[in-house]
Amino acid sequence: MRRIFAQTKKEFTQILRDRLALALVLVLPLLILLLLGSAISLTVTELPIVVQDFDDSTASRNFIDAFRASNALYVVSWPSNRKPEESFNGNRGRAALIIPAHFERNILRGSSAPVQFLVDGSDANTANLVAGNAIRIIRAYNAGGGADTAPVKAEIRLWYNPGLSSDKYSGPGVFVLAMSMFPPLLASLAMAKEGEKKTILQVYVSNIPAQQYLLGKIIAFTLVGIAESIPLIILLRTYFGLSFVGDPSPFLVATVLYAFCVASFGVMVGALIPSRVAAIQVVALGGFLLVFLLSGLIFPIDNIPPELRWISDFVWGKYYIYVVRDAFLQGSGWPSTWLRNVVIAFMGSIFYFLAWGTMRRMQVKA
Amino acid sequence: MTSAALETTAVSLQEPHAQSAVRVDGLWKRYGTTEAVRGISLSVSSGEIFGLIGPDGAGKTSTFQILAGVMEASAGTVVVFGKPAREARSQTGYLTQTFSLYEDLSVRENIRYIGDLRRVPREEIAERGRRYLEMFDLDRFEDRLAGRLSGGMKQKLALVCALVSEPRVLLLDEPTTGVDPVSRREFWDALSHLSADGLTILVATPYLDEAERCHRVALIHQGQIHQTGSPAELRASLGAKRLELRMPRLAEAETLLAKNASANREVVDVQRFGDRLDLLVRNPEEAEDLIARQLKSAQLGSPDFHIDEPTLENTFVARLRGLGSEVGSAGFPSRHPHTDLRGQVGIGAKSLTKQFGGFTAVKGVSVQVRYGEVYGLLGANGAGKTTTIKMLCGLLAPTAGEMELAGERGSVRSPKVRQHIGYMSQKFSLYDDLSIRENLDFFAGVYGVPEEEREEKRRWTLSFSGLEGKESQITGSLPGGWKQRVALGAAIMHEPSVLFLDEPTSGVDPLARRAFWKVINRLADLGSAILVTTHYLEEAEQCNRLGFMVAGELVAEGTPSEIKSRQRGHLLEFIVDQPQRAADLLKKHLERWRVSLFGDRLHVIRDDDVDAGIRRTTQELAGENIRVLSAREGRFSLEDVFITVVEKARQQGKVATEG
Repeated sequence: MRRIFAQTKKEFTQILRDRLALALVLVLPLLILLLLGSAISLTVTELPIVVQDFDDSTASRNFIDAFRASNALYVVSWPSNRKPEESFNGNRGRAALIIPAHFERNILRGSSAPVQFLVDGSDANTANLVAGNAIRIIRAYNAGGGADTAPVKAEIRLWYNPGLSSDKYSGPGVFVLAMSMFPPLLASLAMAKEGEKKTILQVYVSNIPAQQYLLGKIIAFTLVGIAESIPLIILLRTYFGLSFVGDPSPFLVATVLYAFCVASFGVMVGALIPSRVAAIQVVALGGFLLVFLLSGLIFPIDNIPPELRWISDFVWGKYYIYVVRDAFLQGSGWPSTWLRNVVIAFMGSIFYFLAWGTMRRMQVKA
Repeated sequence: MTSAALETTAVSLQEPHAQSAVRVDGLWKRYGTTEAVRGISLSVSSGEIFGLIGPDGAGKTSTFQILAGVMEASAGTVVVFGKPAREARSQTGYLTQTFSLYEDLSVRENIRYIGDLRRVPREEIAERGRRYLEMFDLDRFEDRLAGRLSGGMKQKLALVCALVSEPRVLLLDEPTTGVDPVSRREFWDALSHLSADGLTILVATPYLDEAERCHRVALIHQGQIHQTGSPAELRASLGAKRLELRMPRLAEAETLLAKNASANREVVDVQRFGDRLDLLVRNPEEAEDLIARQLKSAQLGSPDFHIDEPTLENTFVARLRGLGSEVGSAGFPSRHPHTDLRGQVGIGAKSLTKQFGGFTAVKGVSVQVRYGEVYGLLGANGAGKTTTIKMLCGLLAPTAGEMELAGERGSVRSPKVRQHIGYMSQKFSLYDDLSIRENLDFFAGVYGVPEEEREEKRRWTLSFSGLEGKESQITGSLPGGWKQRVALGAAIMHEPSVLFLDEPTSGVDPLARRAFWKVINRLADLGSAILVTTHYLEEAEQCNRLGFMVAGELVAEGTPSEIKSRQRGHLLEFIVDQPQRAADLLKKHLERWRVSLFGDRLHVIRDDDVDAGIRRTTQELAGENIRVLSAREGRFSLEDVFITVVEKARQQGKVATEG
C-alpha cells in the first residue's frame, strides 16, 4: 500500500514541476472546448446572397424584403452589369437571386413568377442549407400572398459542382490538411533533435551563419512538402475525380509557397523548442488543429463567431484552401488568387524570420 | 625487486613553441545563481598538449564551450591565436563529451557534412578524411553508420571530423570517458602524433594517468584552478617522495597509518591505490623504518617497500585533502547486516546466453558471487557487461542458461527477491526533476524502508555526497559525479543483500572514489554480495574476484593476484626521453600488446629474463637515438593484464567490431 502511494506522490511532484504537462492538463482542454464549441457549426447563419433585380418593381422589392428579413441570409448588392456568379469568387456571395423583368406582371397576371436562384456549390454543406432556406422563404412568401397572386417559382441551380459532390469539397480540404501536418512535423522533429542530441554544437563551432543553416533545412523540407503533394494531387484526380478548372498555375505556385510556409513553421517550432516531444505537441496543435478548425476546411469560416473569427485570418491554411478550391472548382485564376499567394509567402517569411531570431547567435543559450 | 634512486629529468615531448595559442583571463561563468567557472586564467603555447584535470562539476565543460566560441562568458576574455574565441571558430576543432555527430549517417557522410559545413574544398575533404581514417584505423568502416560504431570508435570518428578542417587548436572535452583502457591508449597515441605535427591540444580529462602525457596540466576544482605546471613540476611541488607499500592486510594498515599520519610528521599523506598503499613521505628511508615498526607493533606483519616519484594522482588527492574536500567518512548506518549468509552463493549464473536477433551479446557466461564478496566484471564497452548485469539482476530474460539470485532459482523477478536487490546504474538511477530529498523518499518508500530508519539513511547519504543542507536541490542540476553519490545512497537504503553497481565511480573525483570504495568494502563486510563494473582498473584491484569479458565471453577469472600471476613474461618499466617515439618503434619490433604507455612510463612485456630484456630493449631504442633514463622490472597491474587480454582476443579474431 505504502508503495502505491510512494508512486502516486512522485507522479504528482513530477507533474507539478513539468510546465508542459501542466499546460496540457489545464490550458489545452479549455482551449479546445472553446474552439471546437464555437467553430463547429454546420448550421448556416448570416450567409451573404447577392440580388439582381431586373424588374425593379414594388413586387420585386417586396420579394427581396422577404429575404432581407431572414436571419440565415443577408442581402448584398451587386451591380447588374456583372455576372452574378462572379460574386462567388471571393465569397462575396454564396448564392444569387436573379429576378427577371416582368416579375410584377407575372405575379399579378401570370400563372407563376419565375425567379432564378444560383447557389455556390463548392461548399456542398452550405449549398444545401442555403437552397433549403431559400425554398422555405419562398414558400412562406407564397403562403402570405393573396389568392389572386401567382406563386413565385424558384429555379435553383447549383453553380460549380452541380452534382453537389462533397468529394469536390472535402477532397481539397483533406489535401490541405495533409500538407499542413506532415512536412512541418518532420521539420520540427529534425530541428528539435539537433538541439536534443547536441549535434547542434558542431554546427555552432563551424561558424555557419544562422540564415544559411536555416535555409538549408527549410529548402529540404519544402522539397519534402512538394514531393508529398504530387501523389496527393494524383489521388485527387483519380480517386476524387477532380480536375483543374481553368489555369492551374496559381495552384502550382501556391503549393510551392505553402510547402515553404509550413516547412518554415516546422523549423521555427523546432528551433524554439529543442525537445522533440514538445515540438510534436506544438505542431499538432498549431499546424493541425488550427488548420483543421479555423481555416474553412470543414467548418465554414462564416460560422465562427465574429469574436473568434479574426484568429482564422492568421491561419495560413485558410489562404491555401481558398486557392486549392478555386483551382478545382471555380477556376477564377490569378485575379482572385494572387493576393492569397502573397499572404502565404509572407507568412512563411515571418516564420523564417522568427526562427532566425532564435538562432541568430548560433550559441548555447545560457 | 630493485629499488632505484631516480632522477627524473625533464622528459622531452617535442618542446612547444613560445607563441601563445590560447589565453584565458579571469573567466567567469554563471548559470543563474550557480557559479560554474570562478575566475580561471591560463595560457597555452602553440604545439602544446594542455590538460585540464578535475572531476565532474569542476567547470571543465563550461570552460571548453566558451573556448570553442559556442557559449558566452559571464566575464573575462578568451583569446585564440590573437582573436576572440567567437571569431576564431574557423581555426578550432571541438570534441564534446557525448558524441555530437549524426548516428544515422555513415562515417563518410559525417565527414563530408562537417567538411562542407567548415567550407573545406571538396577534394580536400576526401583526401584528408582518408588520411585521418587510416591514421586511426577506421578506414575499413567508411560506409558504416556512426550509430553502429563502438564508443571508442565513435570518438575517433569525432576526432577525424574535427581534424578535417585542419584546425590550429583542438579542444577535447573528456574524449575518453567511459572508453575502455585499450581504446584510451590508442586515442592518446593519436593525440601524441598530432601534437608532434604542431597541433595545439587542450584536453579535459578525469583520468590522471592521461594527464601525465600532457606537456602541462592545470588542476581545476569547483570552478577554480588550483595549480598549473608540467606533470613533473606538479609532482615535485609535493616536496615528497612516494613510498609504495604492499602487504596482505592492506585495509587495516591503511586505517592505522592514516590515523597516525596526523601525528606523524614524516608521512604527508596515505592513499590507497589498488593493491598497494602510496605513502607520501619526505625521507623515504626513515619513513620505511618508522612504518615498519608501527605495523609490527600492531601485529599486521611486515610490508614490502618500494620508493618512487609521486604520481599526479597522489598530487591531486593530496591537494583535494588540503582544500578540505574530504568526503564524509561516517560509517554507513546498518540495521540489518547479512553476516549470517556468508559463504553462500548470492548471485549465481550458469551458461548465461543472450541473443538479440542474430547477434549474440553474451555467450555462455558462468559467474558465482558469494555473500560478503565483491566481484568485479571488467571489459570494454560492447563486451556484454551491461547485458550480463541486466540478466543477473533480473531486468532482462536470458535466452539460455540458469540463474540463481538471493536464494531463488526460478522466479528471479519475484517481489520477494527484488526486495533484497539494490541496483545502481551509471546512466540512470534518479529522477532529474525531483529534489534529492524527494528522490530518497521515493526510493525509501518503494523499497519499504521502515520510517524510523529513513532519517538516518538520508542524513548519511547527504553527508557522503557532501550535500548536507542541500536536500531540496533539484537532482537534475547536480553534476554527474555528485548524482552518482546520491544514487549510491538511494540504492543501499534498504540494505540489500545483493548489490549491482554499474560503473558507480565514473566522473567522480579521486578523493570521492576512494570514499565510494570504502563504502563498498564496508557493505561487503556486512555480508552483501556485490557485483561491480568499472573502467578504473586500479579500483578493480580492491575486488575479491574479477572476471574479464571480451565479445560476450568470460575470458579470464580469478582474484587480482591470480590473474596477474598468470601473466607470462616480465613487465619492464622504462623511463625514456621520447616516450611516444619509443612506443611506436617497439611496436614495430614486438607484438602490439606487449608495448604500452602509462603516463610517462613505458611498459614492455618480454619473455626473456629481466636483465636480458632490459638490455635488448635499450639497444633497440638506442638504434633510434632514444635514451633510456631508467629501467626496472615492474609489477603487472590489472591494466597491463587487461590490455594483454583484449589485444590477444583481437588477434584471435574474437572481437569482430573493433578495428
